[in-house]
Amino acid sequence: MKKMINIEVQNFSYKGSASAGLHDISLHIKDGETVLLCGASGCGKTTVLRLINGLIPHYYRGELNGRITVNGIDIPSAELYDLASIVGTVFQNPRSQFFSVDTDGEITFGTENIGIDPDEILKRKSEVVNELELKPLLGKSLFELSGGEKQKIACAGVSALMPDVMLLDEPSSNLDWKAIEELKKVIKHWKAKGKTIIISEHRLWYLKNLIDRVIYMKDGRIEKEWNKAGFNSLTSDELCALGLRPTEIEEKYIEEFGRGIFSTENIHPCSTLSSESRITLKDMFFTYKPQKYFIKKKKLNAADSADYTLAIPELEIPRGKVIGLIGKNGAGKSTFLRCLCGLEKDCTLRLTSDEETVSGRKILKKCYMVMQDVNHQLFTDSVEAEVMLSMDNEDKDQAAKIIAELGLAGYENTHPMALSGGQKQRVAIASALAANAEILLFDEPTSGLDHAHMTSVADLLTELAKKGRTIIVSTHDPELISLCCDHILCLEKGRLKYMRKC
Amino acid sequence: MRGIYLDPRTKLFMIFVVSLIVMSNAVTPLEWTIRILLTAIPVFLLITEGKYASALRFTAMYAVSLILMRSFISEDSKGLLSALLVGYCGIVVQFLPAMITAWYVIKTTKIGEFMSAMQKMHVPDGISVSLAVVMRFFPTIKEEYGSIRDAMKMRGISFGGGKLSGMIEYRMIPLMFSCVNIGDELSAAAVTRGLGAPIKRTSAYELRLSTRDIAVMAVFTLSACLFIGAKIIG
Repeated sequence: MKKMINIEVQNFSYKGSASAGLHDISLHIKDGETVLLCGASGCGKTTVLRLINGLIPHYYRGELNGRITVNGIDIPSAELYDLASIVGTVFQNPRSQFFSVDTDGEITFGTENIGIDPDEILKRKSEVVNELELKPLLGKSLFELSGGEKQKIACAGVSALMPDVMLLDEPSSNLDWKAIEELKKVIKHWKAKGKTIIISEHRLWYLKNLIDRVIYMKDGRIEKEWNKAGFNSLTSDELCALGLRPTEIEEKYIEEFGRGIFSTENIHPCSTLSSESRITLKDMFFTYKPQKYFIKKKKLNAADSADYTLAIPELEIPRGKVIGLIGKNGAGKSTFLRCLCGLEKDCTLRLTSDEETVSGRKILKKCYMVMQDVNHQLFTDSVEAEVMLSMDNEDKDQAAKIIAELGLAGYENTHPMALSGGQKQRVAIASALAANAEILLFDEPTSGLDHAHMTSVADLLTELAKKGRTIIVSTHDPELISLCCDHILCLEKGRLKYMRKC
Repeated sequence: MRGIYLDPRTKLFMIFVVSLIVMSNAVTPLEWTIRILLTAIPVFLLITEGKYASALRFTAMYAVSLILMRSFISEDSKGLLSALLVGYCGIVVQFLPAMITAWYVIKTTKIGEFMSAMQKMHVPDGISVSLAVVMRFFPTIKEEYGSIRDAMKMRGISFGGGKLSGMIEYRMIPLMFSCVNIGDELSAAAVTRGLGAPIKRTSAYELRLSTRDIAVMAVFTLSACLFIGAKIIG
């Protein structure tokens, strides 16, 4: 069979960066093959993809010794715009890969760039729309779409260019279970059309039946290679030892995520908790579409709650436990977290803990959210200053203690932006501890993390809960729930679906 | 769903004429008539788009300012209150019509249409692509800014944590970091999809000037001529 992609690279290093290069990569991919690249963060998966789509050496500069050809074209000497119709790439972050504001423009963007005839563009567009079932998304603003929908539009934009090679760089990082199913359908469709597909990914379970070959990378080298049968016969422990996430999701999480949150059954009441110490949430009502008012705003209340975005009359949360917050995209998980930490000032929530009831702005003092993009919550120029900023009375010793507790000792004077993603997350947690927040909320803390990092987040959450903090973590990762959650809280359409012990 | 569809070129022309006439000084009743008439057109277009609230708000503000200006303020009014009034009414009457027109155009034009119009007008791709990126970045900045403001609220540093400089610093630095990151990823994604090819871009939108566009343009051209004519004679 014809070799579609040939990579023979002795050496590659990024300009101005000592790490994250490649060594002795020899990779040949056949026409129509589906290949999975896996390995820990920083192992060079993305770098390999960049070699194939030409971003290296044309966009990311570096020292390259070797040859890369795709479909007979020598990549380092080709022009990027000529590669657009040969290699298509779907990137990790749905937020930062679209160029238009509306979906229609995004699908046709690539074809317009390479100067295809308008009639042909429209023909391709309607073809892609049919194939990927995008009709309901047309004519919308991309800023209103969910992550999964954005990712589908990104696939469509690449598809319209009709490349032979499709690259996907951790495409599922920000997607929920359902959206991953949709993504799987797209990949299947491409496979059926005979495209050569290369996927770099941490979440392995959804790919195990799609792939032909698996390449395992470590420290910039190809360490292992399996065919489909060989890879699927690996046990969870073996995968774990390699630092990979499991391919098998336990039956009970399939139940939880697959059927549990997507079933249309009636919402059944939550089981009551035993006599443990608890925090009570009352009158959690909130709506994004408040009634128009003339002079006085009407307070949100239970009687009108039928149309509210979020309506939870009463909920008891066990103290000092890790609670996994699940639900499909748009079920109100983010709204729940925002209301719980007091960011929505119209929310009528009253929070009772230790016989003390707070509401309104005072909730901000009780709860602290570690956001999905932690870059938004780091403000100062050193880790120490970051922690001190949260304190009412600046206390150096206390700050040093918290920093050490989170394993950041030695980084006191480092600029937070110079830290790795996981370390930044810990700085954000440190500032929450410094503010003495009782309830810590995490919004998707493990999206895009490899197995090792996910495990360390899970350990950290368990550790924090042991010290008496109550943790609520919204997640799409069944792996994370199985590692650290004590309870599962499931939302649907802004209503409590169930809350139960793990 | 959409109101009266106008070609982006017509809309650009509309912004140009409205700004020209509304910003220049009107003295005679004829000049005032033209000016008010031209202000009414974008308001009418907004109503056809279903933006009743903004149309109403604008009309009310504009009418109040106009009446105040015409009836209560004369050349020899003195005092702080009238000075403030002159300032306020002046701004509303002189600038708001142009702003509402621009707002209407931004709200109703897709980036694809806009790019296509720029191509038809033989504007270089470099300029139209950069303008499109700017338009795409506004909602992004809004989103990012929203998240940062939330983070500041949680930290209790909305007012800069006691420092005046903090208020700006804590907002701008994370905002700049995330915009730079998004911009970098965005351009990597764009070049893999052929942006920067040394050929003429094409466009999926076929733009054609309809009779409606020609009529609207004629009205604006005529008003502009009348207005300038009145200025020269007067």
